[in-house]
Amino acid sequence: MSDSQIIVGLEIGTSKVCVAVGEVSGSQAVNIIGLGQAKSRGVRKGEVIDVALAEEDVRNAIVEAEQVADVEIRSLYLGVTGSHVRGFNNTGVHPVVSADREITGDDIQDVIKNSKAINLPTDHSVVHVIRQHFRVDGQDGVLNPEGMLGAKIEVDVHVVSGRYNRLQNPIRLVNGLHMEVDDIASSALASSLAVLGTEQKELGTLVIDLGAGVTEYAVYSAGVINHTGALAVGGDHVSNDLAYGLKVPLARAEQIKIDHGSALIDPEARDLTIDLSDDSLIPGRQVNLGHLQKIMSMRLQETLELIAKDIGQAGLIEYLRAGVVLCGGGARIPNITKLARDVFNLPVAIGRSSTVSGVKNALDEPEFATPVGLIKFGAFQAQAAPRRAGFGRVIRRQVAALFGR
Amino acid sequence: MDVNPAIRLIGLGETGVKLVETLAVIAPEGVVAHSLDTDNRSLYRCHQSRTFLLGQAIPCGLGTGGDSALARAAVESDSDELAGIVDQADLVFIVAGMGGGTGTGAAPFLANLAKQAGALVVGVAATPFDCEGIQRCNQATGGLRDLKQVADAVFHFPNQDFIQLGDADIGLNQALEIANRHLCESVLGVSRMLLEPGILNVSFADLESLVRNRHSLGAVVHVEATGDDRTDDAVKKMLSHPAVRGGEMLKEANSLLVHISGAELTMAEMDTVTSAIGGCAPTARLVVGASERASGEAIQLTIVIAHTGTLAEMGDDTSSLKPDPAGKVSGLGFSDPYTAFSADSYLDLGTETGNSKRAGFAYTPPAPTADALPPECREDLIREAASEEPNRVKRRKIVQEMLPLEIVSKGRFENSEPTIHKGEDLDQPTYIRRGAILN
Repeated sequence: MSDSQIIVGLEIGTSKVCVAVGEVSGSQAVNIIGLGQAKSRGVRKGEVIDVALAEEDVRNAIVEAEQVADVEIRSLYLGVTGSHVRGFNNTGVHPVVSADREITGDDIQDVIKNSKAINLPTDHSVVHVIRQHFRVDGQDGVLNPEGMLGAKIEVDVHVVSGRYNRLQNPIRLVNGLHMEVDDIASSALASSLAVLGTEQKELGTLVIDLGAGVTEYAVYSAGVINHTGALAVGGDHVSNDLAYGLKVPLARAEQIKIDHGSALIDPEARDLTIDLSDDSLIPGRQVNLGHLQKIMSMRLQETLELIAKDIGQAGLIEYLRAGVVLCGGGARIPNITKLARDVFNLPVAIGRSSTVSGVKNALDEPEFATPVGLIKFGAFQAQAAPRRAGFGRVIRRQVAALFGR
Repeated sequence: MDVNPAIRLIGLGETGVKLVETLAVIAPEGVVAHSLDTDNRSLYRCHQSRTFLLGQAIPCGLGTGGDSALARAAVESDSDELAGIVDQADLVFIVAGMGGGTGTGAAPFLANLAKQAGALVVGVAATPFDCEGIQRCNQATGGLRDLKQVADAVFHFPNQDFIQLGDADIGLNQALEIANRHLCESVLGVSRMLLEPGILNVSFADLESLVRNRHSLGAVVHVEATGDDRTDDAVKKMLSHPAVRGGEMLKEANSLLVHISGAELTMAEMDTVTSAIGGCAPTARLVVGASERASGEAIQLTIVIAHTGTLAEMGDDTSSLKPDPAGKVSGLGFSDPYTAFSADSYLDLGTETGNSKRAGFAYTPPAPTADALPPECREDLIREAASEEPNRVKRRKIVQEMLPLEIVSKGRFENSEPTIHKGEDLDQPTYIRRGAILN
């Protein structure tokens, strides 16, 4: 296994901090070998609000993952999210100047460089520039224009950007724990990498990550990412609505949500009540199940409708031939697929990380889509730009070779 | 037995009589018209309606000369006969021109009688042009207010409004004619709506639930249009109608009764009309009716606009209107104290018929104390006393009442950056923002 590489994905989420450790073999097969998680206390709406608490939670999660995977984590890929992260499409243009009009590698480099010249507000910085398609003299859908003839070459890219300071917060937090951040990736992108197969990307799919603080979504069509977005509304909002509407403490609301929640209103639940036989409350306190479901269903429906509207405005609804894939903790809500089917009028499935192997529960749970996706993202990055072997690694490799391992 | 609601159309005073005469000619069957005046001359001109001379003893058929107190005295002396007129009625329209003597003084009393007889009382009041003098206008405002406090609803037709409709050099006759035509069309529109069977029927009960005991001041708009674009035309006409005040009235209305009548109504037409009105009045209670019985290709729109505060408590309401054993009516906020007793001439005139009838004067209210008035009346009085434009102040108040004053706590997200999406704070529970009711 000497040629395998350890890649770690870290998501500092609103409800939990999650670390996944993956092993990428020489053939780029990803194998999850460890998971660590801790309850998150210092994060609201996907962004760190209490550095000390968040740091502690991250440390706990990492320690757990190290123990399970039996590795030492030195560097990791970090998922970033928040309402400030946004995605848009941009186009770079470059004229081919050579006499024979043949497009060379330099031309391609230039056009990609041009596409990165984005007019962003000064406090924003680019997270990703993802190449979509090339266009040569208006001819659409060119995957690799090198060697073709043409006068003008264009490239469409999807750009994800966020506020610089708010992107730096989690990075600084990780650095404070004496670990390196290999790269950052938007959570929407990471989740979609984990749950989508090539065919789904080709057909066109919408991935919705229903997190606790932020709901992120990404649209793939014709094999490339076309649209991303984040809405700072999530499971926390559902709990908060319930706490307000049913007049129970927030922690209790969270528990009721998990035990009795539903994304649809069951007509039979109207007359049912739930006993809240908890010491901290008035004995015999009851809440109506119908109210619970109504409050919950309205919030979830609104969230999904906002996404549907945004995607409708981007004109992408018709391209979603493979339907909608849900992941994140919210995907566990009973009937959420039915609700999403009603809102989008498309087939809806719950995302499973089917393209990786490893720890079974890491792959089956929709909550772990982001950290698993981060490992896949890391594997792509490592493949694209192989890590320069550091001094320690060179020594280790030579020692290993010496002993014939 | 007649299945239709018994509708009485009662004209009071010279203006009222004139209007009722016009209405009686074209009124649908089943509407009984009465003309009541203190002036013999105006009653002699009546041919279509049943006439009754008020105050045979006091003004002796000579009119009141703009003295509303005299008119009140006259109408009280004839209260038994008047009770016979309104007996068994379901709906009583009291048509009166405010500002003069008979209409201003007698309308509230008659409304009270009709109310006690169990009828739904709708006042139809025309108020004078501004140029008729400040005194007349003030008297009209007072009369309108008195009528409003007794009647279930008052439809107000300010003549001044209709001037703006025509040219500046419009003839006086013409101006009056326009104003009267609008009033007649509206009253007829309402009667027709109640009497004619419709596809979407608007029944007497609908109107009743809209206005009963609400003491609302409202308006009726009736418009007609023909041609290919008849619906659009009608909607345009409706919105430009002076009584709608450019949609302002609709916006502030509590309840709206919309009746569409026309041959071969299509769904699209219905939709155009209701969405146009609904767009102007998103919060109002809307009752929509439709009927196909109409002359020619015309489409007719009748809209009853009512805006009021709250529904007065039933028990409170009736008790305040019932005459107390002493024969006095409490709870009627008459603006000017009744002065008939101090005017010796009236008493002299009455000596022939004896004082026995006069002793039964129901309208000798003391100057109202603030406590005797229901709270809404008191507010009205204070507001109107404070302002020269009572209607405008009132409407503004109603809009303010609509403002949601409940402050929703954001709980967990109190201190975090708010999630604002298109002006909506998504941190607040959805069910509150959408107004869902948990019950």
